[in-house]
Amino acid sequence: MYWKQIHAAWFGIHFFLLTAVCFAGVFWLIAQGSTILSSAFDEYARRAELVATWCLGKEARASNPLRRGIATYLHAAGIQAGYSFFAPNVPSQHRLTFELFYDDGRIEYESPRMRSKAAALRLESLLDRLPEERYDSVREALVKMLAFSVWRKYPDVKKLRATLDSVHAPGITEFEQGKTETFQPMFSFDFSLRDEQKQ
Amino acid sequence: MLKLPGSQINAGVSLAQKWWQSFCCFLFPPETDTWLAVLRIGLGMQVIVYALFLRSDWHYLFASSGKGLVGREVGEAITSFDSPLIPTLGWLVAIGRNFNISEEAVLSIAWICLLSAGCLLLLGLFCRPAAIVAWFVHLCAAESGGLLAYGADSFMTTALFYLLLSPLPDHYSFDHWVAKTKPKNPRALGFWRRVIQVQLCFVYFIGGLAKCLGNGWWDGSNLWRALIRPPFTVVPPDILVRFKYALPVLGIAICLLEVSYPVFIWMKKTRLIWLVCIVAMHAAIGLLMGLYLFALVMIVMNIAAFGVISNTATPQSATETDAQ
Repeated sequence: MYWKQIHAAWFGIHFFLLTAVCFAGVFWLIAQGSTILSSAFDEYARRAELVATWCLGKEARASNPLRRGIATYLHAAGIQAGYSFFAPNVPSQHRLTFELFYDDGRIEYESPRMRSKAAALRLESLLDRLPEERYDSVREALVKMLAFSVWRKYPDVKKLRATLDSVHAPGITEFEQGKTETFQPMFSFDFSLRDEQKQ
Repeated sequence: MLKLPGSQINAGVSLAQKWWQSFCCFLFPPETDTWLAVLRIGLGMQVIVYALFLRSDWHYLFASSGKGLVGREVGEAITSFDSPLIPTLGWLVAIGRNFNISEEAVLSIAWICLLSAGCLLLLGLFCRPAAIVAWFVHLCAAESGGLLAYGADSFMTTALFYLLLSPLPDHYSFDHWVAKTKPKNPRALGFWRRVIQVQLCFVYFIGGLAKCLGNGWWDGSNLWRALIRPPFTVVPPDILVRFKYALPVLGIAICLLEVSYPVFIWMKKTRLIWLVCIVAMHAAIGLLMGLYLFALVMIVMNIAAFGVISNTATPQSATETDAQ
């Protein structure tokens, strides 16, 4: 009997949440100063982002039932993230290299690998997220696990150094001039079987 | 206290009623279920391709720490920070443990369930349970993957979420042939199609707006960077550089196409042009960047939402079904 009203109410709530998610993402990009807009907009964007995230309950405590309810719904509907893929600009690529140190002084180089291209895309996604500020707390643990996945293939290795580089691809003109990609080290971790030391 | 005269109240009420009626006309247009068949078959294919593409790496991606790439615990911990109620593969592994089923076996069962659900959706057998299983297992995998997930996963979750809520089965499915199900309410069919249409408008408008804010989309450099970026490198840069003058035009065209989608896709005169351009853009993303899953799910959603010619059910039959 009330199915139209119920459906209309769901429609309103669903797209209100989606609007908040999408605009929170866009305002975040502006607040980061990564757009063509003047830096005068940064502060306004930061405030607008706060309003959008408040609508999503993200300003409430982590244990708040409303916040959890909204988050669960957003994930279930696949609308927890905005749609600003490759925007405002295509992000830099990242490369993780492992230096494998053997007892006899040998050094080999290896990278984490997947069998299929579909899974390789996912690995790239992970590597691109590693330098992000929000993953500071789990970065070392993630790199350690990636290192361990390599270690399983090379059990004789005594020490392992993981280095994440930011890859700067050449522009069109640079490419025509024969320039190739350059690598900028971002961080590295040393791991050994007994202890781990951050560099 | 200010008192409104009765005539003003009546005018306000009738205005609200008119607004509600026109809103209902927009939200509940009578529709046939052809679009739903397209969505079901398309998502069936999508789920099958997803499962087959990840077949060789499934265990490596989703095994626990010490067995897989990074261990699914990290992804699950990040997800549970958002909410512990979001399903993950860890839930299934925990259930399996109660029945003495190993983690490896649970992951294999999950993969088989996903593939089977995809096949059932494609055939139209047990449509609703298949849609629920596909959505649930895919959601578990996407959430456990966490940092390994990318755009295609979000769109798959969204599309499967809408599919499982839509009035299944459609009359092209085996379920309809076998069980001779009653015709679905055309207005309910119209409502769920409208939801997908509005969703796509959000997707492209926000995507287009965010791209317009980046300088690299106006001079073609972003398109260049996107196409030469491993592992998306399908076309060698040596060949790509020959089309360097086309890149700025294509970059601007993508921005404008996306940002104007919510306007021109609704107009009958421009709908086909925008739809063809958007589908072509996704086909190009799939072929030139190797993002096949992303391309397929977007093409399926676009065709289901705007590509299927609206064989609008007659208002008479819509009213009859409403009454039922």
